[in-house]
Amino acid sequence: MTNTWYLYLFFSAALLGAGLYALLAKRNLVRLFIAIEVIGKGVSLLLVATGFAKGNLLAAQAMVVTYIVIEVSLVATALAIIINITRHTKSLDVRKLARLKG
Amino acid sequence: MIVQTALLIGLVLFSVLAVFLKDLIRAAISLAVASLLLGIIFFRLGASYAGVFEISVVAGLITVLFILTIALTNKAEEVRESRLANVIFPLFFVVFIAIDALVMKGLLQKIPALPSGPESGTFGEVLWKGRTLDLVGQIAVILAGVFSVLALFRKRDKHD
Repeated sequence: MTNTWYLYLFFSAALLGAGLYALLAKRNLVRLFIAIEVIGKGVSLLLVATGFAKGNLLAAQAMVVTYIVIEVSLVATALAIIINITRHTKSLDVRKLARLKG
Repeated sequence: MIVQTALLIGLVLFSVLAVFLKDLIRAAISLAVASLLLGIIFFRLGASYAGVFEISVVAGLITVLFILTIALTNKAEEVRESRLANVIFPLFFVVFIAIDALVMKGLLQKIPALPSGPESGTFGEVLWKGRTLDLVGQIAVILAGVFSVLALFRKRDKHD
């Protein structure tokens, strides 16, 4: 692999690290979802960079486009669930979801 | 190379801001800026279609969805975040980046470049002919998303 690819791998790992830390440390539902988005950005960056390094950019782009379409659907559904949860619990705190009592 | 590195640093910086800014609206806007930078990086790598999707869909549509959700949930009580997590993060991130850099330095030239066949055709041909099953999956996922949002926001009957 080329040296440039390692640069992209380095920054993708940094994005993944920041996102994973936020997933473990934060409690706000919207913020947790933003952390998932950050992790997704790291993965799509690495996909395109690997496609670029190996000369398979078209296939990598096709995968990233598929990922983005899935991401939109996922975000719409997850944010709708977050709005419904907030109507029930009156809070965005993820710890309140631990109570199973209806 | 310098521009590309600056863009990558900006991407990481805005992503970290998106996760750690206290104001959620500002966090959503930081995420949009990070997406914009990622789109520009895609363009510079020659992945123009992925760049267009990243900027229009992720930086545009998803940011609108986030801001809409934040606006709809602003009456919820404030979430008390752990202060310790915010204090530890800079330390964690510096250590993580240092380990990341060391690992990358150790890995340099050690990952073999597996042989891959030369690509031919256009993006449209690769997407429609090479990854047809992905497109069917995408249509299914979009439909599932639409129906799930409809189900989550449906009006309740009186006897529900």
